[in-house]
Amino acid sequence: MRARPIHPGAWIAWATCAGAVAFVTTDPVYLFLLWAVSWFVYSNHRSDAGSARSFRIFLTGAVVAVVLRTALVFFGTISVANTAFSFLEGLRLGTILVVFGTFNAVTDPFGLVRIAPRHFHEPALAAALALSIAPRTVESVGRVREAQRLRGLTVRGARSLPALAVPVLERGMDEAHTLAESMDARGHGRGRRSRYRPQPWTAASTAIAAGAVVAAATFLSASAGGWAVLHPQTAPPVWPAADPALIVATSLLALPGLLRGGRP
Amino acid sequence: MGHHLPAGLTVLRRPVAAALLVGAAALMPVTLPAVTGAAPACAAATGPHAALVIETGARDLRLCVALDAPTVTGVHLIELAGDQQHLSYGFGSGGQAVCRLAGVGPQGDDCFADYPDFWGYWRGDGGGGWMWSSLGAASTTVADGDVDGWVWGSGDAGSTHAHPPSVTETAVCIPPSPSPSPKPAASPRTHPASATISVTAAASVSARPSHPRRSPEPSPREHPASPSAPPSAIGVAAADQGPPPASRGPRGGLILALAIGAALAGGGWLRTRSDRRRDEVSSP
Repeated sequence: MRARPIHPGAWIAWATCAGAVAFVTTDPVYLFLLWAVSWFVYSNHRSDAGSARSFRIFLTGAVVAVVLRTALVFFGTISVANTAFSFLEGLRLGTILVVFGTFNAVTDPFGLVRIAPRHFHEPALAAALALSIAPRTVESVGRVREAQRLRGLTVRGARSLPALAVPVLERGMDEAHTLAESMDARGHGRGRRSRYRPQPWTAASTAIAAGAVVAAATFLSASAGGWAVLHPQTAPPVWPAADPALIVATSLLALPGLLRGGRP
Repeated sequence: MGHHLPAGLTVLRRPVAAALLVGAAALMPVTLPAVTGAAPACAAATGPHAALVIETGARDLRLCVALDAPTVTGVHLIELAGDQQHLSYGFGSGGQAVCRLAGVGPQGDDCFADYPDFWGYWRGDGGGGWMWSSLGAASTTVADGDVDGWVWGSGDAGSTHAHPPSVTETAVCIPPSPSPSPKPAASPRTHPASATISVTAAASVSARPSHPRRSPEPSPREHPASPSAPPSAIGVAAADQGPPPASRGPRGGLILALAIGAALAGGGWLRTRSDRRRDEVSSP
């Protein structure tokens, strides 16, 4: 028995709202909680090994972003206050990357094209292609390396670059060609779209979108109304604030992890 | 249902309608806190104004500053004081931090160049007492009737940094001897004479900082800082003000966040492990 998968629109709502939450705060309590939330959601919805690899890439990118942003302090005056400020800024950037990596790992970019309104079909297609480039490249790099290992080739360092790049580019061209052919066969670009297997909007999708919107609205209202501290004082650094309402709001974003609406 | 062709059309509409509905409902709380933000404590003069108390160690400044908006940031309050009262100031960290006030403090962009001495930021509690600000001055909200205090000195927390003497906004912005034709707040003045409010009261007021670093019991709301607030008029202002927004202790929230975060991380890890085990079984 397989439950119905979660609608891509709900995932868009989730990612947008989680990104908005990360955008309006530099409080490490909420940001680190968002990392845990993303990990929880990802581990319950990851589709295959390729998505796992792309999530790992985004996770690495996030850590690098935090480190680099913090290291920027060394180009200016080094003080506890400046370092704390830079770290929190980097953490915010890293959190947005982790959220995006989760979104990328749990959704099928071409599922997003199908739900786009007809007028936006071509921009949506371009966006889906752009979104899927990173995971597809990562996946094909992994496959090429695997093939090389199976053939007993140990390629390391700068010399391995051509040996790696050529097959990866070739695969990319092949995939693009296949995609174009399959789209042509399904009548894309001729003003009509197939309605083959429309994705249902489930109750779980509603719950996920609603939870995400409530979470983002809570943070935005705190940001606009100032009823909670979203940017902890760094000069001098103090313990960051942790508002229970905002913690609960952040936890609402973990809802998709509890509603395992079928793994493809 | 939802598997046939005509139902496919409703598939598109339902999420859109749901999103609109949820969005409209969620936008409502956004406007609520904005309305209830300001509490008028200084109703005597026209126009919103706030008091700025600056203690350089050598000089005590008491400035009544007219606000150009219902609420301003603590940094903008200083800028307004510079415009209106020729207060000299300098900001650092991209305008986020206060480096220099009234000629005291480090030159340049690093406001902690003279550390351990720096400009400590205090916020009036409405009753003559002071609370250590947990926010930077670029993030605070100063409304009509508020008091901001800056003290040059050492100490990283409210428990160790010196605080200004007890003073209220009314004491700064309303002359102690009522003149027959009081000028509106648009032309604010300095009142050094109004500084003679009991200092003994201030000492007991500040015994409890708003955000202690390692205090086992960080709930300043249980310790209202006005048991010995001096004159009667100030008590009214304290009643109007209510608890300040940033006064909640962080410890309980931190534990909650840690618990939820650990549960999520652990749940994700368990899921990953069971998936891996299942994959190993299904594809040997």
